[in-house]
Amino acid sequence: MTNFRNNNLAQAWLVLVIATVFGTALAGIQIKLNPVIEANKIRETMEKIPSLILDPSQAADIKSHDLVIQSRVIEIEKNGISKFYPVYDVHLKDGSLAGHVTKAKGQGYADKIELLIGLDAGGNAITGLFILDQKETPGLGNRILEKPWRDQFVDQPSGTTLVVVKSKTGPNNEIDGMIDGISGATISSRSVTSIVNTTIADIRPRLLPIIKKENIIRQENE
Amino acid sequence: MPDSNKKLDTIKDFKSSDVKENTAIHVAPSPHIRDTKANTQKMMIDVLIALTPVVLVSVYLFRAYAVKQLLICLVSCLIAEYVFVRMRGRSMTLKDCSAGVTGIILALSLPGSAPWFVGVIASVVAMGIGKIIFGGLGMNIFNPAMVGRAFVMIAFAGLMSAGSYENITGLVDAVSGATPLSAMKFNNTSVEFSHLFFGNTNGSIGETSSAACIIGGLFLVFKKTASWQIPVSIVLTVLAIAGITDVAKAGSGLFIVHHLFSGALMFGAFFIATDPVTSPLTSKGKWIFGFGTGMLIMIIRLFSGYPEGVMFAVLMMNAVTPLINRWTNPQPMGEA
Amino acid sequence: MADQPTAFERFVQGILPENPVYRQLLGLCPTLAVTNGMKPALTMACSVAFVLLCANIVISLIRDLLKPHLRIVVFTLTIATFVTIADRFLAAYLFQMSKTLGPYIPLIIVNCLIICRCEVCASKQSVFTAAADAIGQAIGFGLALSSIAAVREILGTGMFFGMRVLPEVWPDWVIMVLPPGAFLTLGLLLGLVNWVGIIKSRRSS
Repeated sequence: MTNFRNNNLAQAWLVLVIATVFGTALAGIQIKLNPVIEANKIRETMEKIPSLILDPSQAADIKSHDLVIQSRVIEIEKNGISKFYPVYDVHLKDGSLAGHVTKAKGQGYADKIELLIGLDAGGNAITGLFILDQKETPGLGNRILEKPWRDQFVDQPSGTTLVVVKSKTGPNNEIDGMIDGISGATISSRSVTSIVNTTIADIRPRLLPIIKKENIIRQENE
Repeated sequence: MPDSNKKLDTIKDFKSSDVKENTAIHVAPSPHIRDTKANTQKMMIDVLIALTPVVLVSVYLFRAYAVKQLLICLVSCLIAEYVFVRMRGRSMTLKDCSAGVTGIILALSLPGSAPWFVGVIASVVAMGIGKIIFGGLGMNIFNPAMVGRAFVMIAFAGLMSAGSYENITGLVDAVSGATPLSAMKFNNTSVEFSHLFFGNTNGSIGETSSAACIIGGLFLVFKKTASWQIPVSIVLTVLAIAGITDVAKAGSGLFIVHHLFSGALMFGAFFIATDPVTSPLTSKGKWIFGFGTGMLIMIIRLFSGYPEGVMFAVLMMNAVTPLINRWTNPQPMGEA
Repeated sequence: MADQPTAFERFVQGILPENPVYRQLLGLCPTLAVTNGMKPALTMACSVAFVLLCANIVISLIRDLLKPHLRIVVFTLTIATFVTIADRFLAAYLFQMSKTLGPYIPLIIVNCLIICRCEVCASKQSVFTAAADAIGQAIGFGLALSSIAAVREILGTGMFFGMRVLPEVWPDWVIMVLPPGAFLTLGLLLGLVNWVGIIKSRRSS
C-alpha cells in the first residue's frame, strides 16, 4: 500500500514541484501588482468625478486635488434583494459639500451598462452623467456616449421621473423630465434613463440625512 | 470496387445540358423541381410578373425613391452575378433571371431613403456571400436577397432602422412618419386598415401595400410557382399569436390588423419565404417552415428591439431547412 | 532526432507555410473575438507571443523529466501561470486595454495553438529550437490577427490604429466590427489564402 502511494507521488513529483514554484511566483506577482490594479480601478472613477459635479467653468478653476472625496456604500433593500451603490461625497476645499457621485449598473440592449451619475448637494438635480462601460451597437446604441445626448440629463430635477420621447421639438425643449431618444436606439436610450431613474429614486432619501448631520456639525463648530 | 469508380465518373461527366438528349436518370443537387435552365427561367419570369403590382405600387407611392432603389439593386445584382460567375469560370447564368429577381426583391425590401451605396453593397453581398460562395443557384442555404439586406441592416443600422424611414418625411405624397409597426411598438399609435391594405403608409418600398403583395402572391400560387402551404401557414401563425396577444391585452383588433397587413409580412410570406431553393421540399416540411417563420416573426416583433422581424425569421428558418427536409423526407421502402 | 526540423525551419514554418490561423486553424477564439481593431489585436498577439515563448522554453527545459501520461497537466499548469502573469500585467499597466479585452486574456489558457506547440515542438526539441518555433508561430499568429483586424477596422470604422485613413464621407460598415464581421472576414481571407495557394501550386507544377 505504502509502496503504491510512494510510486504515485514519485510519478507526480514534477507536477507538484511545478505547481509549488508557479504558485509562489504568482503569489509574488499578485502582491506586487494588486495595489496598482486596485489603484487603476479607483482612479478610473475618481478622474471623472470633478467634471460630473462641477460646471465646466468651475472645473477649470478648481483642480481635482482641491476636492475632498469620501466614498461610502449605500445599501438598499428592495423586494428582499439588497443593492449596493458606491457613493462618493465630494467636498470643496472650504468644507462645503459640492455634490455626490454614484455608480450604477443596469441592463442595456446588448450587455450591462455602467454609469456614473453626478448629483448636486442633497441630490436635488443631476449635475452630470458619464458612461463607464457599455457594449451597445456601434453607430446606434453607443451614441449614448456622445456628450450632447448625455448633457440632456444635466440640470434635470431629480424629483421627476425622466421619460424618453421620440423628439422634443420647439417649446418642449424646455420641459423638464424629457430625454430625447436616440433615433434607432430607443432601447439603449431607455435603459440609461431607467437606470438613472431607479438609482436616484433609490439613493436620494439616503443622501439627505448625512447632509443634515453635517450641517449640524458645522453649525456647532461655528 | 471498380464498378463504383465507374459510376462516379459518369456523375462527374454529367452536365445539365445533356438532359434534353439524354433521358437517363438525372442526378443533381436538390431541389429537383428546377433541374433545367429553361424551367428556372420560366419560374423566375413568373416571379417577375407577380412582382409587377408590387413594383407599380411602390413606384406610385415613393416615385423617384423607388425608381432609384430598383435601378441600383437590379443593375448591381446583374453586374455582381456576371463578375462572380466569371470568377468561378462557369457559363453565364444571367439568362435565368434569378439575379434580376433577387435584385428586385432586395430593392423592394429597402427603405426608399437609403443612399445608393446601401443598395450596391447589399446586392454584392446578396450575390457573393448569399449565393455564389455556396456554389450558385440551387446550392445556397439562405435567401440571397435577405442575406444582402441583413448585411446592410447591421452594417448601416442608422440608415436602415426604424428611424431612417422618417427621413423621407414631406418628400413623398401620402406617406410620412414612422412605419406603422414601429409607430405601434414605440408610440402606441395606429393606422387605418384601408391605408395598411392599399399601402398609403411608410415602410420599405415594396412592403407597404398588402393588396399588391396578395395579388402577386395569388398569381404565384395559382401558377404553382410558389407553394401555397408556406404563405398560408405563416399568415395563420401570425394571426393566431397576434390574436392571443390582442385578447390578452383586451385590444380592439387593430393590433391583429397591424401585424397582418403592415410591415413585410405579406411581402415576406409570398415572395421571400417561398423561395424554392431555401424552403423545404415536402408538404409537411413547408407547414413546419411556415409555422416556424410565423412564430419567429412574432417573437421578434413582440420581444426584441426591432419592430419588424420577417427578414431574420426567414433567415433563421432557412438555416433549419435542411433539418426539416431530413425529418420530413419519406423513407424509401425497406430502408427505415 | 534526425528527422526533427531545425530551429530555422521551425521559425520559418510558423510564419506562413504553417500559419497558426490560416493553415492550422488554431487559436480561432481570439482571432474572432478581439480583431475589431488593430490595438486590441496586437495586444492579444503580444500576450500570446509572451505566453507561447515562456511556455515553450519552460517545457523544453524540463522535457526530459516529463512523464507521458502527466505531460498535459504540466503543459496546462505552465501555460496557465504565464497567462495569469500576462493578465495581471495588462491590468496593472494597460488598464483600459485589459478592460477592452475582458475575458479573452484569461482565455489564452485554452488557446490550442500554445498547447499544440508544447506538444509538437517544445516537449521534443532543444530550448533554442523551441524558442525559435515559438517566435515563428507568434509572428504568424500576429500577422493573421493584424490582417483580419486591418480589414475589420478600416471597413468598420474608417480608421487604422485609431487614426482616420478613409475620408469622412466613408459610411462605417458597423457589421465589420461586430461578431458577424469577424466570421465573414476570417472566412473570406481563408478563402483568399487558399486561392493564392492553389494558383501558386498550379504555376509550379
